[in-house]
Amino acid sequence: MVSVSPGTESQSWSRLLPLVGRGGERELMEDLLGRWCRARGAAGGALYVDGGASSHPESLAECQVRWGDGPFPERLPRVGRGGSAPGSELPTGVERLELPGAVLLWVPGGGTATATEETAEVGYLTVLLGVVLTNCRLRRRIKRQSFEANYRGVELEALYDVGLAIASTLDLDALGEEILLRAVSLLDARRGALYLISDGEHRLVSWFGGTARERFEDPGDGPLPEDVLPETEHLMAAPIAVDEDLRGMLVMADKESRFGVGPFTPEDQRTLALFANQAAIALENARLHLDALEKERYERDMQLAAEIQRQILPKGVPSLPGYEIAGWNRPAREVGGDYYDLLPLDSGSDDSGEQTMERLGVALGDVSGKGVPAALMVSTLHSAIRLLMGRVETGPRLVERLNRHILASSAPNKFITLLVGELDPETGVFRYVNAGHNPGLLLRADGSIERLDPGGLPVGLLPGGTYRADRVCLELGDLLCLYSDGITECASPDDEELGEERLIELLRRVADRPVGEVLDAVKEAVATFAEGAPQGDDQTMVLIRRKRSG
Amino acid sequence: MTETLKLTVDRREGLAVIYTEGYINNQGGEQIASAAYQLMEEGYHHILLNLVGTKIVNSIGISILIEIIEKMIEIGGTLAFCCLTPTIEKTFHIMGLAQYAAIHPDENAAVDVLRGKVGEAGGAAE
Repeated sequence: MVSVSPGTESQSWSRLLPLVGRGGERELMEDLLGRWCRARGAAGGALYVDGGASSHPESLAECQVRWGDGPFPERLPRVGRGGSAPGSELPTGVERLELPGAVLLWVPGGGTATATEETAEVGYLTVLLGVVLTNCRLRRRIKRQSFEANYRGVELEALYDVGLAIASTLDLDALGEEILLRAVSLLDARRGALYLISDGEHRLVSWFGGTARERFEDPGDGPLPEDVLPETEHLMAAPIAVDEDLRGMLVMADKESRFGVGPFTPEDQRTLALFANQAAIALENARLHLDALEKERYERDMQLAAEIQRQILPKGVPSLPGYEIAGWNRPAREVGGDYYDLLPLDSGSDDSGEQTMERLGVALGDVSGKGVPAALMVSTLHSAIRLLMGRVETGPRLVERLNRHILASSAPNKFITLLVGELDPETGVFRYVNAGHNPGLLLRADGSIERLDPGGLPVGLLPGGTYRADRVCLELGDLLCLYSDGITECASPDDEELGEERLIELLRRVADRPVGEVLDAVKEAVATFAEGAPQGDDQTMVLIRRKRSG
Repeated sequence: MTETLKLTVDRREGLAVIYTEGYINNQGGEQIASAAYQLMEEGYHHILLNLVGTKIVNSIGISILIEIIEKMIEIGGTLAFCCLTPTIEKTFHIMGLAQYAAIHPDENAAVDVLRGKVGEAGGAAE
């Protein structure tokens, strides 16, 4: 190694100083190195500048500038690395000169001066090189710090953008990819993957680069499976959790540098945790949004179903001379499992054009269960009754066919209690089949009660069911009341049921009123009895009175 | 998505377009730098980087792009970008690349501007 003592001749300074203001940094270093080598009598020289954090991890610096000939390496080992003394790994015949943040290697001989000769020119040039290299180093440091500061800005912007995306995008796949790509990019990862918990295990949602394992069990505090991202060296993961409820995992692999890949830093782990938090919020938002959509769709479906059911139920009552008729249905939910129908049979018109009917078909049914499944069965029952009544005699054969149809078209354990019959207006005879339905009530004009008891099992319960037809005759002033158990089983806040007895008492009290008012009285009594308690079951009632004077 | 970069170079009259598809990271950045320096050696001083197939770039890739811009400025040439995703465009603005390399929304707009520069310079490589 050569020590340098600058000369004192002011001539040399005045000659050399103008060089500093000339050309670019690299050109200046090349010029000064060439001058130094010539003044030193060197055959060749090379300058190695320390690039700081951006340097190769195994080397001090890369060769920046060369002049002349010499066995100069591409990179220099770090000073003292592995216990080796500075310069100990240099090729034979190469000398080393330490400069600020740089090293100058040179090969003695071949010039006009001798290798050991100390001149003022060499001293001045060495000082100038030191100044230029210091400038170069400072400029690089500022550039690097500026780059890092800017990149912090990119990180913040990315987190902000992901937050915005969360607020504006509810497509989980798109959000997952956005978060994954941002994380891979900002962490300088080579590859990455996003997993979400499904059926108790992490399942791959999105990945970047190569291949990724499709699923794995949560490792808890243990390490990730090695093959999560195959053929990678360094893994880093952050859990995605909402209120400590694990929802998935964000995995990164192999942090890149200019010289290959390495492990991630604790700062990287913190950044990944931030993205995992964002992912968690995105997931929760998307889930809530999906729930809201589902609820909205359900409500829309319910409205539609309720509308369909309203269309199924009679919009009014048929006009039947000598009789008063009223019907009412109130489902416990948007749609219900109760059904009633009033169907003119063999209808025609008389000589004056007035519509006449020979018989009135009446049906009142109650499907087991409530809500949409029950409503679907109501729809099935309605179609079947409309198709069969009038074509098949209203009696056991009709109900047996209904039983077969409902059995074939409904889920197991679903059945319908049904009271179906037909009224002959002329005679007042009501022929009916009660298939497991609660007994209808015939309130005679004298206040006595007759029950229309079941004559068979509910339809849709068992194959091959047999049914019995019964008949009652409505005399003048009699009131026929068919209803579903939602009326008599209407519960008070104390869980007491209204019951058949209270219903009969009520009917007796209001029996003289028009059937519309009787129905209103029943509705009011039910509401009063319930005292605002939620309606537990669908409620349906059909009233037919044979007027005292036909 | 793949972590490797596919690169295509289209040499035109006086300018060259480099198309990228994939990750601009260390490897991808080096590929771009290698292609750009080769073009500079061939005399192309106006290069357009069309990132239409790139959705992701990391800090190493950005530092390499900055080096390419610096080298281009040293030789008095122009480097421009086009077809960037909004994320990459924002990143380039924050990182200062947009100060030294124009960003165009599409290739036609970029080529028009670069052709103007070719004309000002009085021709370049064929």
